[in-house]
This record gives sequence, structure tokens and C-alpha cells, in this order.
Amino acid sequence: MNGYSTQAAGAYFGELAGLLAEAGMPADRVGATLDELAAYLAESGGDPEEEFGQAAELAEELTATSAPPAEPGANAHSWRWTADLFHDVKLLNEHGAQGWEVDTVDAKGLFVCTRDPEHPQQWEYRRELIPPARRGSVVDRLAPDGWEPCGTWVRFEYFKRPRAASLGPAAELTAPPQAPRRSLFLSPTFYALVAVVLALAATTLVLGADELDGGLDTVVGLICGVAAGALVSMIVLWLAARRRDKDR
Amino acid sequence: MTSDRRASWLKGVLDLMVLASLTAGENYGYEIVKDLAESGLGQIKGGTLYPVLNRLEEAGLVAAEFRVTERGPGRRYYQLTDRGRQTLAEQGGLWLSFGESVRAALLKGGVEPATPREGELR
Repeated sequence: MNGYSTQAAGAYFGELAGLLAEAGMPADRVGATLDELAAYLAESGGDPEEEFGQAAELAEELTATSAPPAEPGANAHSWRWTADLFHDVKLLNEHGAQGWEVDTVDAKGLFVCTRDPEHPQQWEYRRELIPPARRGSVVDRLAPDGWEPCGTWVRFEYFKRPRAASLGPAAELTAPPQAPRRSLFLSPTFYALVAVVLALAATTLVLGADELDGGLDTVVGLICGVAAGALVSMIVLWLAARRRDKDR
Repeated sequence: MTSDRRASWLKGVLDLMVLASLTAGENYGYEIVKDLAESGLGQIKGGTLYPVLNRLEEAGLVAAEFRVTERGPGRRYYQLTDRGRQTLAEQGGLWLSFGESVRAALLKGGVEPATPREGELR
């Protein structure tokens, strides 16, 4: 090994091993990964930090690519799901009553939930539409009643509160149901809205057919295009949700 | 690692801190959280506090009463019972002795107090 001390490499690999283990990588995989890196380093003769970057960054990279699928099994204590705005709070409260606590809303708009395996407790939720730069005042207004922010989506802020804040020990669950197998919940109102929008679009096109080059043929073509696009999008969404649900 | 260690410390002492905060009189969740933060325990989440309050209530160390407020949905107020006061005196005394032993051993080992970062245990 040239240009760096064995001691420095030992410290680097020691830190990396700790970080990988902390991130949940199995011990045998940690060992194999370190062996590979050490073998590379022995050949290159370089400094570990110059070759691989900061140990923390490398650990994050390695665990991100080797992480197991995010979706859990039916007995899992974490669960990701989403719903449209017409009934998301109602579903949050239903799932909260089954012990699901929202930790955050991820970049895809999914509620990231966990449930305490030993002492599951019930949660209640509310949603607030927050104008720009007003988040602090809304959070402060709700805090005395026990509401804590638990996720943001666009301008909507979600808040959670343990039901124990009003029910006491009665809010603890003794036998919560298994995690739902679904992860996508669309309401009848959402489907109705989509139908109305499509109907309005079709009506507008038909009424304005005379002004279009090609007349009715163009309208029929446009409607078919829109319908095909909508159908393909819905199939893609449905397949993605189904795949997620099957993985669990 | 550091946060895990702090979580373990908190787990061992939070019930006593809650009992201690109620010696000043009855209180509800949000104000208890504020008291604990001012004591240097950092921001305790509702998901951590209420299970502790539930256990204390079930053990008869605190008594709770839900009261409807003029504005808002109402609050559950907690107050220390005689049994809670007695437990606080006994267990709190034991904790102080334990803390002093830990402190003495660490000082003997050359450890100096660290300045906590914002939100951390003081």
C-alpha cells in the first residue's frame, strides 16, 4: 500500500463497516463488500477516501442500491400508501385507528407510515391548506391541541395527534389488523371528476368541430387520442399499484 | 449511535421527568412537552409522551381528566397522585444517586461535560 497508512485504511474501513451495519446490511455482506474494496485498494495503492469518497457517502450509496424492496409484508410495521384529496383525511383517520402513524409524505406523495409492534396506539389526522410563508403560524396555532406536522404535499400540510391525548390508555390497541395489501386508494368522487372532465373536453371538441381543419374526423381522432392516452395512463397506474401490492 | 444512546437514556428517565413536571400542578400534554423541553430533554413527540402518560395513569401514579375547552376539542389534564408523589421521591432519589455515580466515574476517567447541540439533552 502506497501513499497512505495501513492505520488510515483500517480506520476508514472500520467506519464504513459500522455505517453499513447501522444501515441494516447483513454482516456477511458487509464482510464481502469490505474484502472487495480492500482488494481494489491493494491493487490501486491509493488513499481510500480519494478512491471511494467519504465513508458516509459510500455507505449511503451501497445501502441505497442494496436495500430490499420498500413495500412490506402483511405483518410489517411500516407501510406506504396514497389516496386522492377527496378522502385522504378520512382514510388517514381509518388507518390511524388501526395504529398507523404517518412519519412523512415522500417525494412521490406517499404516506410513509409505521406502527409500534409492541404498543400500537391510535392516531388522528387533519389536513391544512397553508399559504406561502404561513406554515409557522399554523403549526403554532395547532400545537397547543397536540397536533404535530407529519408531512407536506404541495401546499397541503398534514398533522397527526395520538388519540391518547383525549382518550388516554383506551387509545392503545390490543390486536390491530394486518397491514392493508393495497397502496392506492382512489375515491368514487375522483373517478366522477375524471369522467366529467373527459365529458367536458369531448363536448367542447364536438361543439368546436367546425372550426377545426378536417372537421368531425379531426374531432374523432382527438377524442380517440385522448381516450387512448387516458386508458394507457390508467393501465400504467393500475399495474404499478398492483405490482407494489403484490410485492408486499 | 449518539441518538440511539440518548433515546435509551430518555427511556429510562422520562416517566420520572413527567412526574417531576407535574409537581407544580396539573397540566396537559402540550405544556408537559414544553416543560420537558425547557428542562433540556429536547422536543418530546406526542408518540413518545402519551404512552408514558398512559402507563403512569394505569399504574395510578397520575390521575387524568378530560375537560372540554371553550375553544378547541378539549384536553386531557394530568395530576400527580399521592402514590405518584411517593414513587417520584423514591425512584427519583435512586436515579440521582445513580447519576452521581456515573458522573463521578466519568470525571475520574477524564471526561469533560460537552455542550449539547440544539434540541439535544443538556
